[in-house]
Amino acid sequence: MTALQSGASSLASYLAAHVLLCLVPAFFVAGALSSLVPKESVTRWLGPAAPRWLAYPMAAVGGSLIAVCSCTVLPLFASIQKKGAGLGPAVTFLFFAPAGNILALSYTGVALGAEFAFARVFLSVVFGIGIGIAMATLFPETGRERAPDQPLAPAPRPARGVGPLLAALVALLLAGTLKLWPLEAILFSTSWPSPRLAALGTALSNLFPSDAARGEEGVTVHGLALIGALVAWGIVSWRGLAHVDDGVTRGTVAALSLTALMLLFAALRVGVDGEALRVTLTGRTAAVALVMGLVATLARRLDPFDARQWLWETWRFVRQIVPLLLVGVFVVGLVRVWIRPEWVHAVAGKNSLLANAAGVGFGIFMYFPTLVEVPVAKLFLSLGMHPGPLLAYLMADPELSLQSVLVISTLIGVRRTAGWVGLVAVFSLGAGLLWGARADGAGMGWLLLGALGWMAAIGVLVKTLAWLINHRSPLAKAHA
Amino acid sequence: MDIKILGPGCPKCQKLEAMTRETLAALGRTAEVTHVTELDAMMQYPVMSTPALVVDGVVRVQGHLPRREDLEAWLRAG
Repeated sequence: MTALQSGASSLASYLAAHVLLCLVPAFFVAGALSSLVPKESVTRWLGPAAPRWLAYPMAAVGGSLIAVCSCTVLPLFASIQKKGAGLGPAVTFLFFAPAGNILALSYTGVALGAEFAFARVFLSVVFGIGIGIAMATLFPETGRERAPDQPLAPAPRPARGVGPLLAALVALLLAGTLKLWPLEAILFSTSWPSPRLAALGTALSNLFPSDAARGEEGVTVHGLALIGALVAWGIVSWRGLAHVDDGVTRGTVAALSLTALMLLFAALRVGVDGEALRVTLTGRTAAVALVMGLVATLARRLDPFDARQWLWETWRFVRQIVPLLLVGVFVVGLVRVWIRPEWVHAVAGKNSLLANAAGVGFGIFMYFPTLVEVPVAKLFLSLGMHPGPLLAYLMADPELSLQSVLVISTLIGVRRTAGWVGLVAVFSLGAGLLWGARADGAGMGWLLLGALGWMAAIGVLVKTLAWLINHRSPLAKAHA
Repeated sequence: MDIKILGPGCPKCQKLEAMTRETLAALGRTAEVTHVTELDAMMQYPVMSTPALVVDGVVRVQGHLPRREDLEAWLRAG
């Protein structure tokens, strides 16, 4: 019973606190990136004629644009590797896609803090490019024809008005989530007596108590109303957005209006104050309203075909990711009851090599659906896991799971897959140790020195291994 | 007319196949429509992203769904 209650509590507080202002705009951004930004604008830099030094950063950009769906990631990975810029950039792309996309980053920022989000995006760039170059060094491709004389494919024209729309959507995401002064400032506040809602508030906090020590957030009256709104939004959107690519209906208009209302309501501050209900307008409320107006104006200027594709794609992301995410959050809450903080303390309470290795190992052997790594990380953090091992886990988990390793090995072979897994593990281990040292108060100079040392060690290791692999005796080569 | 849809089974790829069949029916044309899901087979074509539509060996669209009027024009000409 307590387990079920904990699961429900985790789900409820998650829905109320994180989903709305963070994930709803992020889904619209992801939909716009996927449907309105032509993939050729990135893939042309990943073809056989593309210059090497540009291919790596462009592969990272491609990974963050093409985002979450593994069904676009794998074909693109295969074509970059076999027909395009080669194994190195393909690996960079593969690394960046699950970790560096807008959904993962904004969710990490809201759930674990902006610091972790920055660490994640920065390290994803470093890891992605570093691992890509290391893979290309370890497994050089001979005999694969490159066509340096072939001209680059012409740059495609992006759909009209996409740039401003994307900027406005990102602004909406920031206005809804950043914890900064002008957004937190109180503009206007009013309250009226409502004993019933006050009683409801008390009942809710008894049912779902907030416990800061265990990182459990309670459910408020505002939260309950938001959950109701979200369920209604899901139903209306199902009817209004699922077939939007065939034409805009009244259901579509209803779904979009409800989206706007819901975001506005989420940006209000609503709380029970004694026997009264207090509603507060903050800078956030005003900012969200303003930016939503801007988004609506810009969206109207889109070509109708483009706008429909955008909404359809957005809804597809929601349908594909949200159900699994909700199940994941519920299960995380359920499991929380049985995990004792002492265990987490014992295994990963300190920033030791072993603790970081445990973080990486957990990341490899556990498989979580897209984005569920974030609530899992939050659980560990609240149970006392040190930030170092936590980051090591967070870097390794989305990249490595038994399932993805199997799929990748069919594409590039067992040896290269082993190299990829090993490199991700070694990189994550180093990042975890350094991040943990930073949390323990190490100075910037030491961290920089540590990072350079780690990089140099990996470089020497990779060079040695590459020499061993590629300069074996003729006999061994004949066998291979 | 030989039509191939390249896609590993994602929703957009299914949608492209459905759109193609509908458009063919609306034009009253018959054609062989194959849905290629094998990555190795897809690599035969100069395609970087899916879904992709190949009409008589020519890649008409890749990475996104086509407009109905474009699709009609390709299928009429093929």
